[in-house]
Amino acid sequence: MPGKLRLVLPHGLLLAATAFLYWAATRIAANTGAGRIGPDAWPKAILVFMGALCAWEIVRRLAMRPRGAAQPSPAGGGEGADAPPALQWGKLAAGVGLVVGYVIVVPWVGFFVATAVFLAAFPWFGGMRRPVLTTVLGLAGSLALVVVFMRVAYISLPLGAGPFQALSLALLKLIGVS
Amino acid sequence: MDVLPLLATGFGHLFTPVNLAVLAVGLVLGMLVAVLPGLTLVMGVVLALPFTYKMGVAPALILLTAMYVSGTYGGAITAILFRIPGEPMDVPLIWDGYEMARKGEAALALGWSLVAALVGGLVSAVVMVLLAKPVAGLALAFSTPEFFAIVFFGLASVVTLSGTSLANALISLCLGLLIATVGVDEVYGAERFTFGQPFLQDGVEFLLVMVGAYGIGEVLTRMGCGFAAEGGGAEKGAARFRTAFPRLSAMLGMKATFARGTATGIVVGVVPGAGATVSAFVAYGLESQYGKNRAALGSGAAEGIVAAKSAATASVGGALVPLLAMGIPGSGATAIILAAFLLHGIQPGPQVFVSSPDLVYTVFATVFAGVIGMCILGYFAIRPLCKVLEAPEAIVSAFVVVFCFVGAFAARNNLSDLNVIAAFGVLGFLFERYGFPIAPLVLGTILGPLAETNFMTTMVSFDNDWTVFFTRPISGGILALAFAGLAWPLAKAAWQRARASRSAHAQPG
Repeated sequence: MPGKLRLVLPHGLLLAATAFLYWAATRIAANTGAGRIGPDAWPKAILVFMGALCAWEIVRRLAMRPRGAAQPSPAGGGEGADAPPALQWGKLAAGVGLVVGYVIVVPWVGFFVATAVFLAAFPWFGGMRRPVLTTVLGLAGSLALVVVFMRVAYISLPLGAGPFQALSLALLKLIGVS
Repeated sequence: MDVLPLLATGFGHLFTPVNLAVLAVGLVLGMLVAVLPGLTLVMGVVLALPFTYKMGVAPALILLTAMYVSGTYGGAITAILFRIPGEPMDVPLIWDGYEMARKGEAALALGWSLVAALVGGLVSAVVMVLLAKPVAGLALAFSTPEFFAIVFFGLASVVTLSGTSLANALISLCLGLLIATVGVDEVYGAERFTFGQPFLQDGVEFLLVMVGAYGIGEVLTRMGCGFAAEGGGAEKGAARFRTAFPRLSAMLGMKATFARGTATGIVVGVVPGAGATVSAFVAYGLESQYGKNRAALGSGAAEGIVAAKSAATASVGGALVPLLAMGIPGSGATAIILAAFLLHGIQPGPQVFVSSPDLVYTVFATVFAGVIGMCILGYFAIRPLCKVLEAPEAIVSAFVVVFCFVGAFAARNNLSDLNVIAAFGVLGFLFERYGFPIAPLVLGTILGPLAETNFMTTMVSFDNDWTVFFTRPISGGILALAFAGLAWPLAKAAWQRARASRSAHAQPG
C-alpha cells in the first residue's frame, strides 16, 4: 500500500463512516413540534465535529510529509508517538478467529464445550505448544468456570443444542445444579 | 458535623460478616490484578463486574471499591523487587525502588512504599469524606445547563489527558457519544442508527463497549505482539520477600514529600479522567523539581517512592469525590464503579446523598478499611503475590477473554451481546494499534446519555438558545475551563514548535 494512503487510511475510513452515519441521521424521523430541535440534532452535531476532525487529521498528515518532518507512526499520534511493536499477523489472526469462532459456536455447542476448546486453543496459538497441558487446562478450566458461574454465582450460561445440550445438562446434574 | 455519625453507619454496614468477606476478596483480587503485568487495574475491575450482578448494591460497591484501592498498591511490590511494573502508575517506582533493591535495600524500599500508600490513602479518604457532601450540596443548586457543562468538562478532561494526539482522542470521544445514541431516543421515541436490527433498538450497553474494548482489545494486542512464554518473575525468585519499615525520624524528615505527593494525588484524582497513573507521574515530577533531595531522584532515593506511591493511593479518594457528588467518574476504575451503581438502578450525584446516604458512607468506610487492609495484605502477602507472576500470559489471557464473554452475556442473557463485545474487542485492538485512546470512547458511551439529556432539556427549556450555556455564570465558567483545557495542549505544542524553530535558526551553519 502506498505510504501516503497507509498514513491516512484510519482517518479516511472513519471519515467515510462519518459520512454514512450522517446520511443515516438525516433519516431519523420524529414529530418534534414547531421550532424544537429533534432527536437527530445531537448525533448530527457530533458527526459534523467528528468529520471535521478526521478531515483535519488527513490534511495534516498529508501536509506534514513533504516538509521532511518525522514520519508519524501508524500509532497515529504524530509527534512524540512511539512506534508500535511489530505485529505477528498469524497469531493475531488466530486470536481474532478464536474470539469470533467462540461467539459463533457457543449457542450450538454450549458454554462448557466452547470454553474447553477455547481455553486449550488460545494458549496453543499464543505460542504455548504443550498439548497435554493445554488440553488439561481447557477441560479443567472450563469445568471450574461452570462451577463458579453456574453453581456459585447462579449465572445462566448457554447450554447448547442437541447432544451438546444433553452433555451440558448431564454436567450440571453432576455438579449439583438443578 | 453530621458526617461522623453517617460514617459510623457506613462502618456498621461494612462490618457485617458477609461484607467483610467481600472486602477481603476485593482486596486480594485487586492486589492480584495489579501484580500481573498483563492485567490492568481497570480491566480487573471490569472482570469483577459480572460477579456483582446478583449481589446487593452494597456488597457490589464494596467489592469494586476494595479492588480499586488495593489495585493501586500491588504493582509496587513487583516494580521494586523485579522491575516489573504491574500498572503504569508503578513505573516511577522502578526508577528509585528498584535501584534501592539493587543496593540491597529492597525491604526498606517496600517499607517506604507501604507507608506512603497508607498515608496517602488515609489522608485522601478524610478529604474525600469532608469534601464530597459540600460538593454534592453545591451540585444540588445546579440546573441542566450546569450539569451539561460539568459532563462536558469531564469529557474534555479525559480527552486532554489521554494519549499523544488530541484529534484522535476527540474522535474516540465522538465515537463513544455516537454509540450512546444508538437505539430508541428517550425524548421523542425515535429510532436512531438501528438499521432494522431488533437487538440495536435497546441500544448498545456501555458495559459491552467497556469490556470489549478494554478486555478483549488488550488481549488481542498482546497476542499480536507475542505473549511471554512463561511468567516474568519465576527466574527472579531469589529476591527477598520482606518489608522493613523506615524509622519515624526518617519519615518525619520527609513530611514535605508526603504532603506534596498526597496533595497532588487528591487534586489530580478529582480531575475527571486523570487517575492514579497521572497522579504518580505528576507527583514524581514535582518532587524532582522542588524536593529537598531532588538531585538524588532516579538513583534509589526514598523520596521518589514516597512521592509516586502516596500520590497514586491518594488519587483514589480524590477520584471518588466527583463520582459520588456529581456522577462524573474521576478515573477508569471509577467509571466501572459508576457502571455498578447504574446497573443497580442508582444514579450517583447530589441526590444520592439524600436518597442513599448509607450507601455513600459505606463506600467511604470501604476506602478507609481498604487502605488499612491493603497495607496489611501488602505486608504479609508478598511471597504468594509474587508467585502469581509465574502464570504464563497466554493462559491468563485466555481466561480474561472467557470472563469478558461471561460478563457480557450475563448482563442481559442475550447472545447477540457476544457479537457486540467481539466487535468492540476488535475495535479496541485497532484503536490501540492506531493510537486512538480507549478511555474517551468508553467515557463517551457512559456519559453520552447524560450529556444529551441535559443538552436537549436545556434547549427545549430555553427555546433553543444555546448561548445560555455560556451566559449563566457557573456553566459558563465550567465550559471556559473545559475549553481552556482543550486548548492547552494545542498552545503548548505550538509554543514548542516555535521554540524548536527558533533554536534551529539560531544554530550556526
